[in-house]
Amino acid sequence: MIVANYVAAALLFVLGLYTVLTRRNLVKMVMGLSLMESSTYLLIVSLAHRPHSTAPVLVEPPPGRTAQQLVTGDVADPVLQNFCLTAIVIGVALTAVFLSAVVRIAQHYRTLDADDVRGMRG
Amino acid sequence: MTPTTLASLTPLPVVVPLAGAVLSPLLAWWSLRLPVIVSVATTAASAAILCLFVPTVLHGKVVSHYFGHWGPSHGSVLGIAFAVDAWGLIFALTTSVVGAVLLLYTLSELGHLGPRELGGYAGLFQLLIAALVAAGLTADIFNLFVWFEVAGLASYGLTGFFLERPIAVEAAFKILVLTTIAGFLILVGIALLYAEHGALGFGALRHSLAVQVSSSDRIALGLLVAGFATKAGLMPFHGWLPDAHTAAPGPVSALFSGLMVNLGLLAIVRLLYQVFPLHATHGLGLLTCLGVVSALLGALLALAQDDLKRVLAYDTVSQMGVLAVGFGTGSPAGTAGATYHLLNHALFKSLLFLVAGAIVHRTGVTKLSQLGGLWRSTPSLTIAFIVGTLSIAGAPPFNGYVSLGLIHEGVATTGEHVVYGVMLLAQVLTIAALARAVWLGFLRPRQSAYENEAKARPGMLTALAALAALCLAFGVLGEAALSRLMAPAAAGLLHPHGYVKSLLAPPVARVSPVVVHWSYWERKELAIVVVTVLLGICLVPLYLRRDEPHAVTALRRLHSGSVNDYAAYLSLGAILVVAGFALR
Repeated sequence: MIVANYVAAALLFVLGLYTVLTRRNLVKMVMGLSLMESSTYLLIVSLAHRPHSTAPVLVEPPPGRTAQQLVTGDVADPVLQNFCLTAIVIGVALTAVFLSAVVRIAQHYRTLDADDVRGMRG
Repeated sequence: MTPTTLASLTPLPVVVPLAGAVLSPLLAWWSLRLPVIVSVATTAASAAILCLFVPTVLHGKVVSHYFGHWGPSHGSVLGIAFAVDAWGLIFALTTSVVGAVLLLYTLSELGHLGPRELGGYAGLFQLLIAALVAAGLTADIFNLFVWFEVAGLASYGLTGFFLERPIAVEAAFKILVLTTIAGFLILVGIALLYAEHGALGFGALRHSLAVQVSSSDRIALGLLVAGFATKAGLMPFHGWLPDAHTAAPGPVSALFSGLMVNLGLLAIVRLLYQVFPLHATHGLGLLTCLGVVSALLGALLALAQDDLKRVLAYDTVSQMGVLAVGFGTGSPAGTAGATYHLLNHALFKSLLFLVAGAIVHRTGVTKLSQLGGLWRSTPSLTIAFIVGTLSIAGAPPFNGYVSLGLIHEGVATTGEHVVYGVMLLAQVLTIAALARAVWLGFLRPRQSAYENEAKARPGMLTALAALAALCLAFGVLGEAALSRLMAPAAAGLLHPHGYVKSLLAPPVARVSPVVVHWSYWERKELAIVVVTVLLGICLVPLYLRRDEPHAVTALRRLHSGSVNDYAAYLSLGAILVVAGFALR
């Protein structure tokens, strides 16, 4: 089941990259980057998975389990889930910066076509 | 000072500029110049705190500190550590000292802006400097990624600082796309490493990697190197670099080129030398390949540019290549020389970009074909630019002579004659590119006067004089700097046991020393300098008289300005680098 997650993450990443490389519309490129970003979340959360484990919320053990079971590794890896949270926070900030740059470009160049936004080249 | 007290000071060089970054936008409403003055003070304070580490660290010790005292227990490490070794300390000190000089310069050049602009500018500038200093000190790979992103966010804001200029926003979008993709590569690389080893600290990772380097680790290293090479501006990951430098204000270009791109190289070098066992991967060979390509093509492109700041920006690509080749040798002379060159590059490239920024800002002319005759109107700027050019050219007594000589010696000891030849060719092209800029922009007579004169102000002159003096000082005191500063840094890289030990058993560990032999007046190196400078200068009239060579035209056509193309080059480079690491 977790292999399916890896495959899905890889597909999403490639799909996002394909969008970034082939779409000239700047908003579509930002969407492609968001897709790539989501794929990394999926990959990281899947890496944290351990068979028959529960969520790493250690306030008190879930019903049917003792605290001892949790200590011996019966929870998903919390470090990787922390990664994911950090990456999401960074991603939100990035998307905001991205979109404000796109708005500015649209105002200056009156276009969203990346081929027309080429003031500097060579 | 006891080692424990010293260790507890490690977060301060980062915390002080971070606090300044938060305060600056608020202070701007109180007094217009206050945010920039505060930022000069915080960066200088950061440098002063770092100086406290100098006696201990440069005597071959590593000082480490775990945040919240989450140190290693029962052999496993959960906490985030800062570890100060000679390599990181030189990087961090260079950043904070040059950063303070750049901010001093800003005060004089951009002092006429409004409170919103100045506050935001000072805040982002300090944020970037804090991120770079932290990246130099951190000993945790995920923490390094976070500082990479912080530096990235600050750099996006600074690139698009002149929001009213279309090219500034365009450049901001390009740097955003490329750095974001690089961030994904790094994040995936870190996740793969963690999944395999269950560790993020450099010490614990090294401990685990010393046992075995699996193929998933190699792929992870490939992704990490590709991601950080984007930050370093190595080819083919460099698409963002020339545009970002062209569009940003002069001091920001200097900050990007002199300091920020070093972050990528710092991370690559830490990973290859201190985290992964040096000979378990093809790391050094691949780094040399990237370096050779960047050094040669970057210099060639610099020669062909008409925009003054683009000449310097492509030269940065070339110089990063030289640094990569130096670190790629894996020899004491090569690594010490590359560390030295990193410091020197920060000094002379900042100097050159400040001069270029002053000229562009004052006269409003950016193109070399329209410039000229600056020697008459502003001799001080001309002298500063020529000092920078001589430093890059490696002419004694300036600083480039020592570091380039060491890198050449390092390459010679590896016996790679092709690399050696390409390095010399790149050196000739670099000299030609800058000599062409000096001739066209400064020395060539110009018929009509400028609409706005490029007069230099006292604050600007102080900053330029400080950088020029440092260029000269690090050239004259070459041998002392080498044995006191660069040899300990090379030792820390070549013998990482001390670094690892300080992390696994904090707070202090000793590094076994490395001796780098070098004599200032060696005939071979002097001959190389004379020949390359003469060839470079002779190339200028030849190049100016003839049409652009087909190879250069083709190369320039590849730099189409389309962000899709640059992302494609990045992806291609990443695939090649990952394949290079995975195959063995």
